[in-house]
Amino acid sequence: MVEPRRREILRLVRDGELPAGAIAAHFPDVSRPTISQHLRVLRTAGLIAERREGTRRLYRTAPGGLDDVRTFLDEFWDSRLELLKAETESEQQRGDRGRR
Amino acid sequence: MIGGGEGPLVREIHIAAAPEIVFAFFVDADKLTRWLAAEATLDPRAGGDCLQVHAGSEDGRHGPVHMIGRFLEVDPPTRVVFSWGFVEPECGVPPASSTVEVVLEPEGAGTRLRLTHRDLPSTQVDDHRRGWTQMLERLQRATTRTTEDR
Repeated sequence: MVEPRRREILRLVRDGELPAGAIAAHFPDVSRPTISQHLRVLRTAGLIAERREGTRRLYRTAPGGLDDVRTFLDEFWDSRLELLKAETESEQQRGDRGRR
Repeated sequence: MIGGGEGPLVREIHIAAAPEIVFAFFVDADKLTRWLAAEATLDPRAGGDCLQVHAGSEDGRHGPVHMIGRFLEVDPPTRVVFSWGFVEPECGVPPASSTVEVVLEPEGAGTRLRLTHRDLPSTQVDDHRRGWTQMLERLQRATTRTTEDR
């Protein structure tokens, strides 16, 4: 199972390079060491690339990383099933109201 | 490893709606287009068409793509299986190459949904690696031959 925050990080760095601080700022409820840990795992998995600029560390999608079919479909089914849950549950509620 | 591995992709969720309601969202085009695809043509019986148009990305970098599938098993309201693949080669999943199985079981007043996406092609990363290995092997064969020729 893919950790949702890691998927979110992949999404963030898909369109351009971001410093670690900017990535961490997207997750105000997550500690900085946890974000660093996620970045480390993603880097080890070859999904993101790291570049150092002075004291800053910058991250971007590794070539071929996010194009990976598996990663795409992981994200695809998660987001679609969330929609399905919302749609079917509101359909159920409409039905329940209709029967009252 | 993230997104890696060769096994099927499995998702399991609880939905607070009856299996009959959930099932309809896989076989009724008007309902399927509310969550999965932008357009759909569905003939929900074994061998029937399961055609979906998926919208392009919001930033306009990718155009719409066409999923050409076929229903393989339709057993309302508990199980539906369809093949899954795209006309566009850049999607990396050719038509009929993979299958999606959806199993619905009553759970409390709702449904436990398990989606299993099987037979996905090995990752592009692996393809690169395979290409690299083949090149090394060719190189090795070529150099060996040169040595023998001498």
